[in-house]
Amino acid sequence: MAQVKVKFDGREISVEKGTNLIEAAKLAGIFVPHFCYHPGLPVVGVCRICLCELEGRPKLVAGCATSVEEGMHVITRSKKVADARRAVMEFLLIHHPLDCPMCDKGGECTLQDYTMLLGPSRSRFQFEKLTWPEEDVGGKLVLNKNRCILCMRCVNLCKDVAGLDEIAVLNRGEQTFIGTVDGRMIENELAGNIADICPVGALTSKDFRFKARPWELTNVSSVCPHCSKGCNIVVGFHARRNEILRNTARTNMDVNQWWICDRGRGGFHHVHDEKRLTAPARRGDKGYQGVSWNEALLEISASLRDIILRHGARAVGVLGSGTLTNEEQYLTRAVFRDGLGITHIDFPRRPQPEVRYAKFTIEGDKDPNARGALLCGVAPVQSGLGVRDMVRAAAEGTIKALLFLRGGPLDLFGEPAIVQRALENVELLVIVDIAPSPISERADWVLPGVTFAEKDGTFTNSQGRVQRIRKVLTLRGDTREEWRILQELGQHLGALKARDPDPERIFARLAQAVPAFSGLTYTTLGELGAPIAAATADVAVG
Amino acid sequence: MPTATATFEPVITKTMHLEDSHTLGVYRKHGGYEALASALEKTPDEIIDLVKRSGLRGRGGAGFPTGTKWGFVPKGTDKPKYMCVNADESEPGAFKDRLICAKDPHQLLEGTLIGSYAIGASRAYIYIRGEFAHEARILERAIQEAREAGFVGKNILGSPWSCEVTMYVGAGAYICGEETGLIESLEGKRGWPRLKPPFPAVVGLFGCPTVVNNVETLACVPHIVNRGWEWFAGIGPERNAGPKLYGLSGHVNKPGVFELPMGVSLRELIYEYGEGVPGDRPVKGVIPGGASCPVIRGDEIDIQMDFDTLTRAGSLFGTGTPIVMDDTTCMVRAAWITARFFAHESCGQCTPCREGCGWLQRLLWKIEEGRGEEKDLDTLLSVTDQIEGNTICALGDAAAWPARGFAKKYRDEFLLHIREKRCPLDGALA
Repeated sequence: MAQVKVKFDGREISVEKGTNLIEAAKLAGIFVPHFCYHPGLPVVGVCRICLCELEGRPKLVAGCATSVEEGMHVITRSKKVADARRAVMEFLLIHHPLDCPMCDKGGECTLQDYTMLLGPSRSRFQFEKLTWPEEDVGGKLVLNKNRCILCMRCVNLCKDVAGLDEIAVLNRGEQTFIGTVDGRMIENELAGNIADICPVGALTSKDFRFKARPWELTNVSSVCPHCSKGCNIVVGFHARRNEILRNTARTNMDVNQWWICDRGRGGFHHVHDEKRLTAPARRGDKGYQGVSWNEALLEISASLRDIILRHGARAVGVLGSGTLTNEEQYLTRAVFRDGLGITHIDFPRRPQPEVRYAKFTIEGDKDPNARGALLCGVAPVQSGLGVRDMVRAAAEGTIKALLFLRGGPLDLFGEPAIVQRALENVELLVIVDIAPSPISERADWVLPGVTFAEKDGTFTNSQGRVQRIRKVLTLRGDTREEWRILQELGQHLGALKARDPDPERIFARLAQAVPAFSGLTYTTLGELGAPIAAATADVAVG
Repeated sequence: MPTATATFEPVITKTMHLEDSHTLGVYRKHGGYEALASALEKTPDEIIDLVKRSGLRGRGGAGFPTGTKWGFVPKGTDKPKYMCVNADESEPGAFKDRLICAKDPHQLLEGTLIGSYAIGASRAYIYIRGEFAHEARILERAIQEAREAGFVGKNILGSPWSCEVTMYVGAGAYICGEETGLIESLEGKRGWPRLKPPFPAVVGLFGCPTVVNNVETLACVPHIVNRGWEWFAGIGPERNAGPKLYGLSGHVNKPGVFELPMGVSLRELIYEYGEGVPGDRPVKGVIPGGASCPVIRGDEIDIQMDFDTLTRAGSLFGTGTPIVMDDTTCMVRAAWITARFFAHESCGQCTPCREGCGWLQRLLWKIEEGRGEEKDLDTLLSVTDQIEGNTICALGDAAAWPARGFAKKYRDEFLLHIREKRCPLDGALA
């Protein structure tokens, strides 16, 4: 694209032709306030807070709707501009309830911020304000029209990104309001983004509201673990309560742009599930009994070694998981495949229908790191068996030990009756999981692992982008990160020479061992991740 | 008979007094569609040039030169082009386009067709406001007649050019008379004005080059074709050419639509054509061109009614439809009624107009009710300043101007309301 030279308040910069004044001003280090403008939505130019002056033109122009032109001199700091913006602020607040102390948006509200920045501190409007009742509009959102400034972002998100006219502008003049059509509920699974982009407290998240003030949250960059898209998220957690209170979208133009789906948005509740597994346990005659990690891992190692000694490595089946990190996939392979020579190694896939919206697709592969598992070699080798065959072999008695790195419903692993028989037949059944499942209910050993929010690591999304997840919470109970469990088990089994103190160093090892990850480090991944080496086969040849 | 305009020969309203003036038969008997035939013998560029030279300026209120507007339509594009006729006449005080639709719809159709031919459009839409049910029926019938006679449809008058004309009835919103609001409404959307640029001539209806013209503007076109641009340019003052339909209403003995040259004096219009004020009461003020134009005082009516003169006088010619108010009129109430209209008709899209219009209305009502304070008058003026020029379309300005006009021209009366804590004109007529 051609570059043009423009001046902002006397400062000359060179910008790409077609850039609007808000974006161009940013490059010049100048802030142009905006409510309705959002880089991911169509320009509507309705809020008028971005009015700028162009030298030589009598009328102010909307910064969002005006493109830079060669030689243009944009003035953002004149009295005329300040007056116009103050006027818009005054107008926006005349019917606004000014209920910041009880508004959930307080602390991250654009209207509040701009009022401090630009607005008059007193209103000259001395009439009764228009009021509206609060409304449930579906989409896990609550609508408070009193605070709405009619910026149209919600309408345009549904219309443009979801491609559905589920929320619209109704009526006109000062009686104009945002509403659903005929009182129907918003059903699209992108609607939660509205709570992120609503610049005021009009549309807030039912899930998050009143849980905490935004300034009480610690925000950590992470990646959504709920499908193979790998949407970038911000995990907002309350440090004192050691609790995640929300996930919000984090912009990554190569992955999810500005959006995440509602499954990912609410996809942290399992972390705090009361039914979580919290301590290692062994099945005995009187049900499950707690044991120490050391005891559990030593005994599991001993049993496994014994079975391999008696029946060979082909009597063991390892069922990995596409939910584990690249580091853990690498360790799964290093310990069981490379270290113990186990060939029956695979992980179950969890396909669901893909959900396609106009400009956003919720992917059908529900594992965040199936690609990473394949790249790292969590796959059967040397006529090793896949998931279903492994389970069948266990049911038939040729496989004596099954190690699950995640459980799930029986049918995830095969015909339920066969899986059931396999679980009953094997000599050794070990599971690492975060919550109970039909597998853990029959296992000899239950080892409590952790969720995406309790460990560091990386996922490789479906397009082959490696992105970091981060430990947000302190560990719950006596749970332990899988990368730690695998390393300890590996050492007890004599399958792993060294142990690394953190996933970053495991990743460094992985980058050496697996060509796809060659050259990548946590530093090069940065906040937005990086693609794997091009043209790398999904299954690394071991 | 009035002197200054004695020699003027009406053309637009010439046959409107005849029985069945709205029918094709009567229209053709008086030379109807001859202009279309001769236009088709010229090139589109020649027609645009003709209209440019005539000096015809849009009769919808803004007074933009019609030929220039037509000239903005890009040539050599593959996209279809559209002609839109703005028959959404919603300006309080304006009722001239309605007359054309009801009494001489073929004149409008002929102008529409010539305009369409000039800009290279093969489809014209007539956007008529929902309240004009009667006129819409007449127009629909006229389109049918014209189609049957070969003036609308394929290969018009044996030429290679075809043009369909479709009427669309709006749902009744002032904002749909704003040209891009009209286009949005025609596309089946909310009548919310668009951001400009791009202008409709480049990106208009369905994203294609579009010209939106007022009914009266197009009604002038056949006459320009028939009589030549010199004839048209010779009527009225310089840069404000042509015959004009003045819609006179309010406190006059004979309200109505009068066809007179541009530049007629307002006094003459009121006293000669409107036959004065009932009871010979003095004129207190006149809204010269529809509700959005700032009021002028009774002592200012010796003024030429044309675009440039009224703009110089701090008001606007608008649609050229004066509303006369005598001394029984409360100017605060008149301002409030105007503000109430604009608050009701504000589309709600952009902040200053949506919020400001309601505020103006409240302030004016407060003063009219006798609850006003002097600072309310300052706030009122400041709110008008805050709206003007800061909105997407001109409705914001249209709402700000009259409120400011009333408050400035009749400041004393506003202050009297505030001081006496009541409307001093309440019961004045009793």
